[in-house]
Amino acid sequence: MRVLLRTLAPLLGLALAAVGVILVIEVVAAWVRPAGRGLVVPWPAWQAALSGLPWSARPVIVVSICVAVVGLLLLLIALLARRHDVALTAPTPEMTVATSPRVLARLVGRTVRESDDVAAATVSASARKIVVRAEGWPDAGGGFAGLTDTVRGRVSTLLDELPLARRPRVAVSTRGRKEPR
Amino acid sequence: MSTPTEVPAGSDPGTETAAPPRRVLRGSRKAVARSANLDRVWLALLGFVLLAAGTLAALLGFGVFGTGRAARPLLDPLIVDALRAQQQLWRWVAIAAGVVLMVLGLWWAVRSLRPERRPDLLLEEDPDTQLLVTAGALAEAVADRAAALPGVGKARARMVGSSGTPALRLTVWVTDEADVAEVCRRLENEVVAEARRSLGLAHLPVAVRLELDSVTHAPRVA
Repeated sequence: MRVLLRTLAPLLGLALAAVGVILVIEVVAAWVRPAGRGLVVPWPAWQAALSGLPWSARPVIVVSICVAVVGLLLLLIALLARRHDVALTAPTPEMTVATSPRVLARLVGRTVRESDDVAAATVSASARKIVVRAEGWPDAGGGFAGLTDTVRGRVSTLLDELPLARRPRVAVSTRGRKEPR
Repeated sequence: MSTPTEVPAGSDPGTETAAPPRRVLRGSRKAVARSANLDRVWLALLGFVLLAAGTLAALLGFGVFGTGRAARPLLDPLIVDALRAQQQLWRWVAIAAGVVLMVLGLWWAVRSLRPERRPDLLLEEDPDTQLLVTAGALAEAVADRAAALPGVGKARARMVGSSGTPALRLTVWVTDEADVAEVCRRLENEVVAEARRSLGLAHLPVAVRLELDSVTHAPRVA
């Protein structure tokens, strides 16, 4: 999302500047030559078209909805393009230590998969929450309490070792494997 | 170029116990990554304006504000007459709006495209000579020292911030067996403290970004 923001920002800046330049050129041109047809954009033709088009016309409504959707997308990009870093405690106040949620997810995934009880696992992580979906084999009673405890215990041990500024919540879901162990 | 805060003679910046100034603490947080706050604010503002304008126009078209208003043309004769009545004034308003849009747009574009600053450190300056440590040289030295620490696969450093408040951004790829807390402690005590000491800086804010070193698998066939 930040890449999109970095790409859009200069393009929109240039677009705004272009609109400003065209506005100045056309106003000055119309001032100097009132009977002119527009230097860059054919605004007299646009003026005539807009004078005959009511707000309830289908093209107007369609364009309005498109403009609103584009605005909503830009707003969403702006809101979602914040950094999602995971803060770690630094040894001194002059130092800030951070890592990405991807790194935290990789660390958790690697730790969980090292267990013999886990056949496969997928992990998603943020600074607030870690979600582990583990696949394994059921207990003798048919449940997955043992697998859940194993995964939760391993993640907890890892989180104890990492100097995280804020300990994330851990959610574990398990799924059985049909193949024999 | 930076004119760093000099360490008083005889004191050791590595063992400094006084709390760092607030600008130093802010500097380390700001150095984590290049800020995109301005881009986000402008994009949000533009998005909000487009969303509001589009929604209002669509509601107007659907007759929410009255069927009479929905039937009126986009370029309302009432508005056109009002503009023509004060033609001189509105021309100047339009020119001013165009200039403002042009300046704001160009400023936004240039600011977004401008590369991040890498301030050099100016250690000494007199009329004849000046002692300058370039940002690249300092970053390379720090990165080399950081990469040599146990548990660190590779490291990359760069100077960021302004010439008045330089900061160091350090990206460190830790290995599988690394003790992250120990790596951070050694980075501060051995790498950054040494950089401060050798440059005679009282404070140098540091932002460390930890990444996982890519795993190298052993070949399946010998």
